[in-house]
Amino acid sequence: MDVFIVVYIIIPILTIFVLPTLSWAIGNWYQNRLMSALLENEKQDGKMLQSDKHLSTSSSMTSMAAESSTLLHVSICVGPSWGQIFFMWLRSLFGGRLHSYDVVLDYGRREVLLRLNQQAKALGCSSVVNIRIETSTVSFAKNNNNKTSSVEFLAFATGLRQ
Amino acid sequence: MKFIGCFPIHLTMQPATISMHMSNVETIPGKTIVNSLGLVTGSTVRAKHIGKDIFAGFKNLVGGELKQYTELLNESRNEAIQRMMLQANQMGANAIVNVRFATSNVASGASELFCYGTAVVVQ
Repeated sequence: MDVFIVVYIIIPILTIFVLPTLSWAIGNWYQNRLMSALLENEKQDGKMLQSDKHLSTSSSMTSMAAESSTLLHVSICVGPSWGQIFFMWLRSLFGGRLHSYDVVLDYGRREVLLRLNQQAKALGCSSVVNIRIETSTVSFAKNNNNKTSSVEFLAFATGLRQ
Repeated sequence: MKFIGCFPIHLTMQPATISMHMSNVETIPGKTIVNSLGLVTGSTVRAKHIGKDIFAGFKNLVGGELKQYTELLNESRNEAIQRMMLQANQMGANAIVNVRFATSNVASGASELFCYGTAVVVQ
């Protein structure tokens, strides 16, 4: 009887509610840590990000007298945690704002811009023009049971050396 | 030697020996375009390593960045760029302008990384 209770009642309840909650909580904690680390990095070496003089989405080179240029491209894959996916599924029954996705996607987009900035600095570029950011779903899951899914952000631009 | 259509593996595995100016704007800044040679493309289709997938699955417990996938896609994209550069080199170009990237999920378990641009001769 005890075995029956454990197998058919306690384990399903654990897997359906407790594990996603745990995963959701750990995911939120971890992503908040990532976000605060990102904010510090942006403060430290995000000076180029603040001024629109050096970073632009425009392709016009009229004001630039560059000596040489290079193509920059950075990509990053981010994804929410299992628990967050589960609760987002519950949320999507009613509709509304999906906060977990907001945080994850915001993090990915800012991180990729920061890395583009760092790559530009590493290659000796003083300004970055024609920045494009693309988003694509990268799902490597071979069947529906595997919930591993992620979003890829790709940023590419032309770096100018002056 | 001429390679048309597909590229032999031994060539794509070689490290980058071709140096080429690339940009995603209409010109190469600081140079002038002498001759335009037409479209060049490069693509790879990659599936992931099963071990890496399992690890990434564990990583998905907390969310955030999935480093395995980031690395995988970066490697694949570099390979696509290599192929594009090789093709431009065979056409006699020394630069590629207006480079664009595209990513698509061709099948579950694999994704295609595609890049294309215009091969030009600059001075």
